[in-house]
Amino acid sequence: MTSKHDSTALPVINNFSRRAAVKGGFATLGAAAFVASISPLRQAAKQTTAAEFMQSHYTELSAEDKQAVIARLEADAKENYGADVTIADDRPIPGTKFVYAINLSVCNGNGKCVEACHKENNHDRSTNQSYIRVIEMPKGTMDLEQGSTTYTGTVPQPDKFYLPVQCQQCDEPPCVDVCPVQATWKEEDGIVVVDYNWCIGCRYCEAACPYHARRFNWKKPDVPADEVNPDQSYLSNRIRPVGVIEKCTYCLHRTRRGKLPACLEACPTGARVFGNILDPDSNIRWILENKRVYILKEELGTKPAFFYFFD
Amino acid sequence: MTRLANILFAAIIAVVVSVTVVSLAKIRQPERLQSKRAESPPLREPLQSVSTQAATTEQATSKQTTSNPTTFPIIVRQPLETPTINLAGVDPQGRSGQVACSTCHSVRPANMATKTTRELNEFHQGLQFNHGQLSCYACHQPNGSDSLRLADGSAVGYQDVMRLCSQCHSPQATSFAHGAHGGMNGFWDRTRGPQTKNNCVDCHDPHVPAYPKMVVGFKPRDRFLDVKEESHDQ
Amino acid sequence: MSSISASDPDQESHFISYPTFLGRALWSATEGSLAFYAWMTLLTAISLVGANAWAHQVAEGMIQTNMTDQVSWGLYISNFTFCVGLAAGGVMMVIPAYLYDDHQMHKVVIIGEAIAIAAIVMCTLSVVVDIGRPDRFWHMIPGIGKFNWPISMLTWDIIVLNGYLLINLHIVGYLLYMRYLGRTPNPVWYVPFVFLSIFWAISIHTVTAFLYCGLGGRPFWNTALLAPRFLASAFVSGPAFILLVMRILRVTGCYAADPGPARTLIQIIRVAMVVNLLMLVSEIFTLFYTGGAHASSAHYLFFGSHGHDGLVPWMWSSIALNLIGTALFFLPSAMDRSLVRVVACVCVLVGIWIEKGMGLIVPGFIPSTLHEIVEYSPSLIEWKVVAGIWAFGFLLLTIMLKLIANVFNAQPVPERTTVATGGGRG
Repeated sequence: MTSKHDSTALPVINNFSRRAAVKGGFATLGAAAFVASISPLRQAAKQTTAAEFMQSHYTELSAEDKQAVIARLEADAKENYGADVTIADDRPIPGTKFVYAINLSVCNGNGKCVEACHKENNHDRSTNQSYIRVIEMPKGTMDLEQGSTTYTGTVPQPDKFYLPVQCQQCDEPPCVDVCPVQATWKEEDGIVVVDYNWCIGCRYCEAACPYHARRFNWKKPDVPADEVNPDQSYLSNRIRPVGVIEKCTYCLHRTRRGKLPACLEACPTGARVFGNILDPDSNIRWILENKRVYILKEELGTKPAFFYFFD
Repeated sequence: MTRLANILFAAIIAVVVSVTVVSLAKIRQPERLQSKRAESPPLREPLQSVSTQAATTEQATSKQTTSNPTTFPIIVRQPLETPTINLAGVDPQGRSGQVACSTCHSVRPANMATKTTRELNEFHQGLQFNHGQLSCYACHQPNGSDSLRLADGSAVGYQDVMRLCSQCHSPQATSFAHGAHGGMNGFWDRTRGPQTKNNCVDCHDPHVPAYPKMVVGFKPRDRFLDVKEESHDQ
Repeated sequence: MSSISASDPDQESHFISYPTFLGRALWSATEGSLAFYAWMTLLTAISLVGANAWAHQVAEGMIQTNMTDQVSWGLYISNFTFCVGLAAGGVMMVIPAYLYDDHQMHKVVIIGEAIAIAAIVMCTLSVVVDIGRPDRFWHMIPGIGKFNWPISMLTWDIIVLNGYLLINLHIVGYLLYMRYLGRTPNPVWYVPFVFLSIFWAISIHTVTAFLYCGLGGRPFWNTALLAPRFLASAFVSGPAFILLVMRILRVTGCYAADPGPARTLIQIIRVAMVVNLLMLVSEIFTLFYTGGAHASSAHYLFFGSHGHDGLVPWMWSSIALNLIGTALFFLPSAMDRSLVRVVACVCVLVGIWIEKGMGLIVPGFIPSTLHEIVEYSPSLIEWKVVAGIWAFGFLLLTIMLKLIANVFNAQPVPERTTVATGGGRG
């Protein structure tokens, strides 16, 4: 541009070429320093293959896509964890809606469900992660403020009762509403699932959940090869990647095959009841019709598919 | 004049934006359920198509079960038909081992009044008993001691102990019948597999039926910030 | 813009001259004294430290931060919230300038817009460093990803923040470009956008407040007063930041404006700060007089609970700083170019930074939804990353201000020849 504005609009600089050289040098230096400073990213990028990076949302995968994805994930499990696993794609059984109930008169807080969940769902061993937290509550209150999740020793204490909390599979799930990328959704049988390969890890759902049901993979889960549960499902207990959210799925890799959830089978007190609420003869229906039922944080309007009852 | 026009222009944009916001919010509110359903189809249609592909075999089996309602059974675990008791010491011949109840009780008269093991001067002395005000022969059969005794005096086998318990504990029995009491394993969907349920005496010692205390063994350690601070202190 | 070039046939196409302008602007903005280069080098170095810390965080997982499942948002989102306020506040000066036709303000407006641009970039960076899978950022792009609009408030926030960035880039770019061409800016091409940006500034902060206050499971955030409080504090932090920037510009001799606009800013701060404090008092009253679950976070924040009191010093220093800052702003000497004004600005900036961050985001998670008390204090990596973000923001701001100063100084404002350079106290 050779117009008259050169002299007035911006100051004219002498020694143009020398300055250009100096500036260019600085810019190159800066760029090099930037590349050096973000070099740890190269390590992270190695672990993400192009196929994984480009993978579409679960609901947009064709049957062939899914096969390819599952084959890749199984190979990853072999490579990273040394375990031979089978990842299925369990879909909802038509005509089912899963509902859970816990008998608070019976639960004694022994924590076997917490442990069973930990093993069944291939949780990180170093943190003893689990989808279930049990709260020790003083008798005579339902105020969580007075509870404790860190109790140990002999249970039950005479003046306490025990409140296990896990994902309530809400019918109005706030976690699903807030997700910016639809990485989490509610399926026909009521299970709120997460596509671990679509989640961006913003943790907005974790902030939105009133039940502390969601967990974030702060690091790569560490599970020894011989402890990996090889019976896995894409939306459920396959080993999760780092940096994504995970949650309880009522063990859909079991329950969608007709089996009972792992936490229920592990419960030595028989406090846990699971079933299909659409079946009028189900255990769950009988409990809801005949027992005193309590819904955790009912006032929030999340409509849980999870009930607490008393004898 | 242009200033006025500009303000007008900006105001129109603001109104349009706010109207869209409000109307979107309105649309969402009354049709909250429907909108979720309505927006799901694009999300769910591919799901269903895949699920039908994947579950064709399952469909076939479930169809078979609906047309021919064979449901797998609920198996309640059962105790032994004739329980045995460990001998405390050795007999004069130096033998120890297990004997049936009738081995001794068939030759000894029954004391119907015994209520606690403290009243006994031989046998069963270490037995803990804490089950209300019952006497031994409230539940054990005085004649024919390899069976139990119902309230009407009739005999019932040890394997059917739940009939005996249910006489007094009918609310628990009702709950048990509906899966609301007692542990279970196996399948919730009995068109696909059987279900195994515990017997009363699997969890409750009939002589001390209160469920025993336990020790918490497994605790999550996800409060790693606390741990970190502790390790900094070291 | 085509209409302008059509009316001005001797002009080159804007498609060529605008990039030329940008290139020359960048060139001139990187010219300066030794002190300027030292400042730029320092900022670059801090930015690189931040980039390096972030790269480590991505490579080794978010375990590098001190966030937990109980406190799942920390310093990053706190900083994001503050920067949104800064961005919104930066444009608030537009209101007196255009709504009340205060011509003196026009020179300040462009600085506000520049601050807004830098602040929005900082917002975006704060969110990017907070997500666990930055490699999946494309999932948020409408069209190729899955954009959960309009249900998710976060998607609204993405839209309004990016929209705001574009509007401000347009306004600043257009005004400077016109001056560079030596023409009077045509109001048709920027005044509507200025008004749009006023509404938009309110929207970015409202939407950001809605992010938090729409969550029923977090009683501490679930208050209708959150959005108005955000706005009120934005009306404080924005002008306070502008005042500081103007002071620096005047001292370094780059760019100076009349004392008039600064006084208007002080008036805005006075009102907004009182409103902000009033709303804080109202919030505190409601929480503590009612008690119950809503008060448990506040109790932890102000007094500590169950032996945990990590946030108590933060919150009280925030309140103290805000009160001191407000009192100083009400002193008559705050109207002059005095030290009092600078101290007051720093006080309220730091006070609001704490109030919006450690005093709002973090206690929302303490106690957790199961009433576990897990405390949070940022890790070194988090501090490094946030320092890097601020350094990068300052880097951008410095370049933009330099550019503004160059363009304005090279060509005196036509309608106003009495541009104060140094200016007397008044």
